[in-house]
Amino acid sequence: MSAETIQALIDRVLDAYAVLEELGEEIEDEWSYVADLSDAWRTRFDEVAAHRGAIDAPDEASAAIDVAIDEIRRIEDPHRAIDWLSTFPQVVLLAMGEQP
Amino acid sequence: MRFQDAARDARAVVYAGIQAEPGVARTAALLADATAAQRVLARAIMNGETMDGAHWRAMFPSLFGPSAVGDDAQHARSAAILEASLAVADRGEQVRSQVRGALVEELTAQLLARRVAAGAVHRERRILFDGVRAEIHPYDVTVERDGAAEAYDCKWGARGINADVLHQLDDARTHAAEEEGRLTVSLVVFDARRSCDVRLAHQTAPHEATAIVTIENLDELTGPPR
Repeated sequence: MSAETIQALIDRVLDAYAVLEELGEEIEDEWSYVADLSDAWRTRFDEVAAHRGAIDAPDEASAAIDVAIDEIRRIEDPHRAIDWLSTFPQVVLLAMGEQP
Repeated sequence: MRFQDAARDARAVVYAGIQAEPGVARTAALLADATAAQRVLARAIMNGETMDGAHWRAMFPSLFGPSAVGDDAQHARSAAILEASLAVADRGEQVRSQVRGALVEELTAQLLARRVAAGAVHRERRILFDGVRAEIHPYDVTVERDGAAEAYDCKWGARGINADVLHQLDDARTHAAEEEGRLTVSLVVFDARRSCDVRLAHQTAPHEATAIVTIENLDELTGPPR
């Protein structure tokens, strides 16, 4: 098992997610949708952290999420960023053994 | 209430070529039998930047690797979905978007054909009502049966949900009811329910009577419409 807890993993996820949100907000017409979408998925991560935050994350979950974060850091197009504001949380939650 | 093939302008002809690509039907067939996680895999790759299969395998440990769940058939399907999705992602941005849309439509049609006779499932159809000007845009998928007709619009992502599509679906349902007919209307979105709910909360167009089918509950298309 890794030394990283689920809470620490989620903290890293949310840092990367915030950068993705900033990119999506460049589409002015979608600003409020982007904000609400991000809030909705943060709420889901908060739920996971509340239930499992203190336990160690499996190594493969940490590794999977490293790769997912690497993927969203490659995104430069704000439209694609909005797609990933929905896709990234689904990928991360599955990697942590959670249902999106 | 009557159904009619949509007129084909130049754009529709080009799109029909995308819809008819063998890879669209093959990928839809894989996704029709897929688990929820496999469908998210397809969505991620087709939205993605990276063309390296190992990258995606590492991102989905529940599908690939030592702790992957499921039997050999499921593992083979995960691998096939990965390859098919990379082939879509490898297209240019505009074509990729068109293929993704065609894929959701084909997946919807294939799942519906498990419930009703395949001959009842149609694509790109207009719905005509007496005394009502026909909508310009056709419905992506229809089920045409006496007394139990259904109309579906299909979207790749939650962001595709907009006022136009919600109005079109609800208007058709309302007009059918005015003719004392029954038309069930649904919006199929290849995205998470949570994201769709956020998008719908931003819409004032009527959608209370429109079923929203999301990536988690696509298999409900094989059961009776709600």
